[in-house]
Amino acid sequence: MENKTLDKYLKSISRRLNMPKKHKERVLSDLSTSITARLEAGESENDIISDLGTPQKAAKELNEQMKEYTYRKSPWRFVCLAAALLLLIYLITTVSFMIPVHRSIGIIGGADGPTSIIVTSTPRNMLMEISTAVILLAISVLGFMWLRKLKRK
Amino acid sequence: MDDRFSQQLKKGVLEMLVLRLIAEKPAYGYELLSLLKERSGGLFTLKEGTLYPILYRLEDDKMITAAWSKGEGRISPKKIYSVTDEGRRETLRQHKIWHEFTMTVGDFFKGGLSDGE
Repeated sequence: MENKTLDKYLKSISRRLNMPKKHKERVLSDLSTSITARLEAGESENDIISDLGTPQKAAKELNEQMKEYTYRKSPWRFVCLAAALLLLIYLITTVSFMIPVHRSIGIIGGADGPTSIIVTSTPRNMLMEISTAVILLAISVLGFMWLRKLKRK
Repeated sequence: MDDRFSQQLKKGVLEMLVLRLIAEKPAYGYELLSLLKERSGGLFTLKEGTLYPILYRLEDDKMITAAWSKGEGRISPKKIYSVTDEGRRETLRQHKIWHEFTMTVGDFFKGGLSDGE
């Protein structure tokens, strides 16, 4: 777009559009053509911007009206969140119990206590388990952040 | 016609009208907004955001296709929608269905109301 103000305006709208790149580009190409047509019809920058609204308002309307193309966060992301939390708890308890125990077998909590945790793995196995847990934790967190489903048919 | 009933009616026919307009003559978005407004005497006054989902549904269903015009001199290139063969067939089909529909519904109003209309 040759007009700087309107170019910036379009970019502001673009940033606030909550849809996949392909659909965003489609909207922007049509908006850009609309703006071009209005300029050629003699409308001023201010006319156009006040008619289309502020970038926030314009983007909000477009997101609402194009609901079938906007991102909707999948409920499965909460499964990932739950998995991440469980793994985190596992990691914290495992690592915190690793510190005082250097031997391969130990009973934590005392035999007469209400709880006792028996650590039976060797340090090397613990390292494997912890690495696995960390990797699964990372995947769960990423899954939580990225899991979203596209609506439409 | 701002009431819910009128809005529902308008919503129902909008996609059919947009396809019809494009089938009559290729057009870009803003042009369609003007045409709709003029030819309906203001009944169909839409904003860009209302028109776009309709255009994209038609495009995804392969009823219309988009292309950039060349632009000459002071006229910039524009994204223009044209009808496809399938779109042309579809608009004829919709016209036929619309005609039958209006006839059938119109028949319901042939009789008067119980207290006289």
